[in-house]
Amino acid sequence: MKFLIAVGSKEFSEPTLRVGLQVAKAFKAAVTIAYVGPKISEFSTSQVRFTQERMEEWEFDRPGVEVLEWAFNFLAENDYITPTTVEAGFPKNTLVQTGGNRCEVYLQGTVCKDVNLILRNGDIIAELRDEVRRGGYDVTIIGGSQKRRMAHDLIQYINSSIFVVNKYDQHQNYNLLLPVDDSTHTPKAVKYGARVAQAFDVKVNLITVSKTDSFGEGYTKASQLASKMMRRAGIEHEHRFETGDPVEVIKKTAGDNHIVVMGASTKNPLFKFFTGSKPLKVMEDCQCPILIVK
Amino acid sequence: MLNTFIYWLTQKRWLVFAIMVGIIMYNISAPAGLSIEGYRTLIIVVMAIILIIFEPIPLPAVAMMILIMQVLLGIDTPNGVAKSFMSDAVFFIMGSLMLAVAIISQGLDSRLALGIIKLTGNKTWKIVIGFIAISAFLSSFIGEHTVTAMMMPVGLTLIKNSGVDNRSTAKLAALILFSIAYGSAMGSIGTPSGGGRNVIMLGYMKEFGVVNISYLQWMKYAYPILLLEIPLAAIILWYTFKPRQLILDSAVRKLKIHVTKRGSMSGNEILTILIFVFVFLGWVFFSSKVGLGIIALIGVFLYLAFGLIRWEDLNRNTNWGVIILFGAAVSLGLHMKDTGAAFWVADTAINWMKMISDDVSIIRWFVAVVLTGLLTNLLSNAATVAVIGPIVLNMGGDTLVMGFSTAIASAFAYLTVVASPTCMIIHSSGLIDKSDYLRAGWKMFIMSVLVLFIISNFW
Repeated sequence: MKFLIAVGSKEFSEPTLRVGLQVAKAFKAAVTIAYVGPKISEFSTSQVRFTQERMEEWEFDRPGVEVLEWAFNFLAENDYITPTTVEAGFPKNTLVQTGGNRCEVYLQGTVCKDVNLILRNGDIIAELRDEVRRGGYDVTIIGGSQKRRMAHDLIQYINSSIFVVNKYDQHQNYNLLLPVDDSTHTPKAVKYGARVAQAFDVKVNLITVSKTDSFGEGYTKASQLASKMMRRAGIEHEHRFETGDPVEVIKKTAGDNHIVVMGASTKNPLFKFFTGSKPLKVMEDCQCPILIVK
Repeated sequence: MLNTFIYWLTQKRWLVFAIMVGIIMYNISAPAGLSIEGYRTLIIVVMAIILIIFEPIPLPAVAMMILIMQVLLGIDTPNGVAKSFMSDAVFFIMGSLMLAVAIISQGLDSRLALGIIKLTGNKTWKIVIGFIAISAFLSSFIGEHTVTAMMMPVGLTLIKNSGVDNRSTAKLAALILFSIAYGSAMGSIGTPSGGGRNVIMLGYMKEFGVVNISYLQWMKYAYPILLLEIPLAAIILWYTFKPRQLILDSAVRKLKIHVTKRGSMSGNEILTILIFVFVFLGWVFFSSKVGLGIIALIGVFLYLAFGLIRWEDLNRNTNWGVIILFGAAVSLGLHMKDTGAAFWVADTAINWMKMISDDVSIIRWFVAVVLTGLLTNLLSNAATVAVIGPIVLNMGGDTLVMGFSTAIASAFAYLTVVASPTCMIIHSSGLIDKSDYLRAGWKMFIMSVLVLFIISNFW
């Protein structure tokens, strides 16, 4: 599997990197850490690039390299890269231009397979979308954003599962909240949920929400399968059936002490664009990390 | 598939909007007093402005759209469009971008750094005035982004050696980097070779039969503005970003150590300066006959011939997309003049102004200057002059004052990151916030308009 972790800055991205790597470790996935810098106007691209080349002669790194260096140090401190890689130090000189506005450096990983560091410039959604298309990533991990539009665009346009590390507190005791229904993405969400629960060693709260008092056959079957999978994986879990608006119930149950894992919507893209979807509504308002599985 | 289409549509929404606007305008009949060709030229202008501001497609694609539409809409013949595409102004933009690459590549920034420090000492306020003055002086001859590119490492060395982290040097960083960027922007008005837009305006003035201004005459009008702006800009920037560090003792010492490592001047560096002096003298004494663009190209030829720069480096670091766009914008400007579109827009604008007052002389000047200044911050300065120039020269009044003021106002690129390459270069350092541009920029904008008003009316 391949995971893409998008980091924004040294100050705010530590939880994203910490959680992202922990999850990637559980999946034994290859990890790419990407920093997307601001978009450069086309009127100035050559001049900016040329100035940055000049600055390198004055021993200044191009903006964004310090974020990658910070990520390298984090990987080194937490033993995610091999001792020989750590010993060699941050390989600034091997940061190679790999086309357009993209630079990349390869590191040798330990628990995760390969670890790459990538530097890009441009619109964050466009750059992440391009990176996912290029690298065929299974999961994209990103920090929470105040911008509602960002959540919408991530779910709508990034062609991988999305893990938004929203308001993650290292000292909080999290449980995993796994909404289960009859949608096509639920089985995959259950699988991912089990892995994440193992990675964080937490209890799983399975929840099935129906708008009416009756729970259809699809719902019952899906919840039985989910319970079975948790039991087989040896994960402590409990299953609740609730009635009400699914989005509201999920948000209320999640509170700030759950990691939510739920399947992506299977609605028509055009319909999703205009009316949104359940996962999007949960993601926009919830106060905890959320993984939307596609 | 559908999702990809939706994504494309959201990314290209401004392209779709521009096309819709174009189709709607095309299906509305031309206003009275405006020829069909003139109206169609205006359709292209509106579409191009939308596409340049929002950049939904690459800039060279916008340029191609302009050229293609001029032929397909019957505004001119293919050969006519091709002829209007290339001019001395476009030669100059191409030549000056290449000269910049050649000069910056030689590493003269270290020499520059030593010169500044010797001149200013280690007091922050003196360094700020020094940065503004030297950036302004140099950029009036060699182009603003060249100077910003050379000054930026010098400024960053001072900033990085002045505090323990970015937070403690945030104001100092803004102060020094804006001194460089705004100093360079201000300086670009000093001579015709300070910016491509000056040359575009000179070209239009020639086309309109306005008196021909020589290189030195331009300096005579423009330099007083520059000299007045330097201390005012220093005051504005100082009080907007007053830093904690009032003396940069250790930073200056470290900068000196860094630059003295370079040793004495190399032969290539001396030759680089000599060729540029030769080019400058050519601009001063021969540009009225040979053209500023051709002289810039002579300079590029000499740098290549003497092996001071390789063609591969010139090719890689020259923004060809911008050159093509400016060529197309100049072509569009000339067609605005030839089809009467520029006259119609100018006439309509004057009629609106007359609703406010019968005497439009001052309003006309302010509208031209403020509109140019604002558009510069959204489009690009050369594209603004290329489009606005023919309109302003048709507005009546003293065409020399109107044209000159418009060219000068196109340097008021203070308000946004995208206003000019200088603003983008300092933003790319990662030390300047987008909101900082407006914090200092609006004061700089008003100050510059007032200084320009005083000089154009009393000098």
